[in-house]
Amino acid sequence: MSLKLNKFETPSSASSDSDTELALEPEQVFLDDEDYTRAPASPTTVPNVRTYRPPSTGSNIMKSPRTPRVRTASMSQSNKRTAAGSILHADRRTIYTAGRPPWYNCTGGQEVEPFLIGICGASASGKTTVAEKIVESLNIPWVTIVSMDSFYKVLTEKQHIASMHNEYNFDHPDAFDMDLLVGVLQRLREGKKVEVPIYNYVTHSRENRTKTMYGANVIIFEGILAFYNTEVLKLLDMKVFVDTDADIRLARRLRRDIVQRGRDLEGVLKQYMTYVKPSYQSYIAPCMAHADIIVPRGGENKVAISLIVQHVHKQLQLRGFKVREKLAVAHIGQPVPDSLYVLKDTPQVQGLHTFIRNKDTPRDEFIFYSKRLMRLVIEFALSLMPYSDHSVDTPQGIPYTGRKCDVEKICGVSILRAGETMEQAVCDVCKDIRIGKILIQTNQQTDEPELYYLRLPKDIKDYQVILMDATVATGAAAIMAIRVLLDHDVPETNISLVSLLMAEIGVHSIAYAFPQVKIVTSALDPEINEKFYVLPGIGNFGDRYFGTEPADDE
Amino acid sequence: MDLIDSDIRQWDANEIKEQFGDSLMLLPSNNNIKELQTILRDNKINLNDFKFYADRLIRLVIEESLNKLPFTDCEVVTPTGALYKGLKYGSGNCGVSIVRSGEAMEQGLRDCCRSIRIGKILVESDNDTHEAHVVYAKFPEDIAKRQVLLMYPIMSTGNTVKQAVNVLRQHGVKEERIILSNLFCTPAAAQAVVDYVPKMKILTSELHPIAPNHFGQKYFGTD
Repeated sequence: MSLKLNKFETPSSASSDSDTELALEPEQVFLDDEDYTRAPASPTTVPNVRTYRPPSTGSNIMKSPRTPRVRTASMSQSNKRTAAGSILHADRRTIYTAGRPPWYNCTGGQEVEPFLIGICGASASGKTTVAEKIVESLNIPWVTIVSMDSFYKVLTEKQHIASMHNEYNFDHPDAFDMDLLVGVLQRLREGKKVEVPIYNYVTHSRENRTKTMYGANVIIFEGILAFYNTEVLKLLDMKVFVDTDADIRLARRLRRDIVQRGRDLEGVLKQYMTYVKPSYQSYIAPCMAHADIIVPRGGENKVAISLIVQHVHKQLQLRGFKVREKLAVAHIGQPVPDSLYVLKDTPQVQGLHTFIRNKDTPRDEFIFYSKRLMRLVIEFALSLMPYSDHSVDTPQGIPYTGRKCDVEKICGVSILRAGETMEQAVCDVCKDIRIGKILIQTNQQTDEPELYYLRLPKDIKDYQVILMDATVATGAAAIMAIRVLLDHDVPETNISLVSLLMAEIGVHSIAYAFPQVKIVTSALDPEINEKFYVLPGIGNFGDRYFGTEPADDE
Repeated sequence: MDLIDSDIRQWDANEIKEQFGDSLMLLPSNNNIKELQTILRDNKINLNDFKFYADRLIRLVIEESLNKLPFTDCEVVTPTGALYKGLKYGSGNCGVSIVRSGEAMEQGLRDCCRSIRIGKILVESDNDTHEAHVVYAKFPEDIAKRQVLLMYPIMSTGNTVKQAVNVLRQHGVKEERIILSNLFCTPAAAQAVVDYVPKMKILTSELHPIAPNHFGQKYFGTD
């Protein structure tokens, strides 16, 4: 296994925002939990954290207080991953196996087509190793590995018994659910959410659970018959065939099945001779003709892997990955959209803004006054919900006709980290409200937002969602968060994006992408600077609120 | 009190101006605020919810009252290096609550102005004659120089507030420097108070002939 799990590193790629939750407790990030849906756990997704370090590392925890749990590479294969296995550490990098890049453009559509690599090769030829080596060498954020093994058909009782006696052909094309496979790959390629089945090797059936996966910059699809289906072939941008000597394959297979899976020599050999070898000759070996590149000796072949990686990099560059720049120019002096609701600009609101915008405001005052402002904004956002007439009996004995909110279920979702500061305000005005969280971080190298973490109430589609972020500049993070909510079946009309300060550009982008989302803010600023901060703005709200400004600021 | 029968209706800003002049202002209403008012009038509400929603409405009324306090223009530099034209709140304000129900609004004021001085007035009504007289009053020493935010949530006749204003006058506070924060007000009370102290600013969240007189009892749980 190429991904050695040893050295720990702060994973953050955010604006001086080392997220200690992620850094400290990788195991707890994606624990399964009754009340919450799992985060988008796309198998192996690799944000690039090799060169970037948060500026304020002095106080950051660079060494984990606990030893990271040893994990194998995470794959869509059910037998190889656990629910918690969403982060792993390879050499000097932290690899996230959940998350996705901002592949939605300013219209909410898909920005960049993922690059799809197919890896085909005989059983035990080292496809997985090659895939992992590619992931490791690519050094780009968000790579997903899809294994063909997840798409085995559900066996009937009879077939199940046959398989126990090594009399079922798992190496035949008919053993795979090709239609499902094509569907999943197509959706992944479109950047959509997919449910990948989890195959149970003991019962030879699919588990009730599925694995939620999102697309990525690069999707690696590996399997023994990866090139067999013509529909799949059409989807692949690059086809790699791993060609390993038959003796070595058999040796590996023997070791794996006997030592790791506890099967007996007779059975393994029987299966090999009756199914594996003939299948290789009739179905897998001919696939070699479709390959763009043939990698002899599998994962050890460094030259071949570096060639593949170079090619992928070049292709990605051609496709371009700049969401934010696109967003920043999309705004052309348009009138503000109808979906924008700005809090009434009273002397108090202006005074509060004066406090929180002043760079010399000490933190306690900054927190105090921003909280006051948040309260007003949240109250304002609530007034925009649907209401209808409601009569009550009064203690004075005369009925009173007032208003009542039509919405029973309101839920807050904060965009970490700055959005979290608004949670208290929302809890103060809504009793027993559920709070979801989304962590979107700006990649310091690319300035692109990336989704790292997600926790939402299970039935979030039934809720009115108050999406909170303290400031909105380009709107890239907010758009991504809205997209995530839509992916969880929240109707667009049910979302209110609430913020203390927004830049016009961001408002335009969000309103253009999602015209039905209510955009609520206490102030609208005209400009945005080259660092994507709003002008005149507040600065980095999260840093100022939490006191994590870089020390060498002034 | 003859206004009571005829006036179950929503007042808009123009009508208020016509009827009561410039000194009475209504909290700009919206569905959210109406819902809060509805909940507070509902006789089925429990103590916990009542206090919760009352505090929310109080906070909004206080925030709006603070808008009537003086401020000056100022410019500050933001962390991005840009100039922001803002406002600076004036200093020299104080709050005065009318015991007991006015005290319910103190926390709302505290939540907005952390270190504001708060005075108190206790006005008792005679059970038979409904005549109000001041039993106790304690203010910051220099109250005559300050803007006063007078807090009293329910006005049904206006007698209590009139007495409170009298005490403030005796301490040298000019009536134009008093802002009355109020949640529920009857048109009759509004008329009475406006006639009595025409220059005092009054902010209320609702003008309605039926005042929820149970407010104080309910809020403090002594009903």
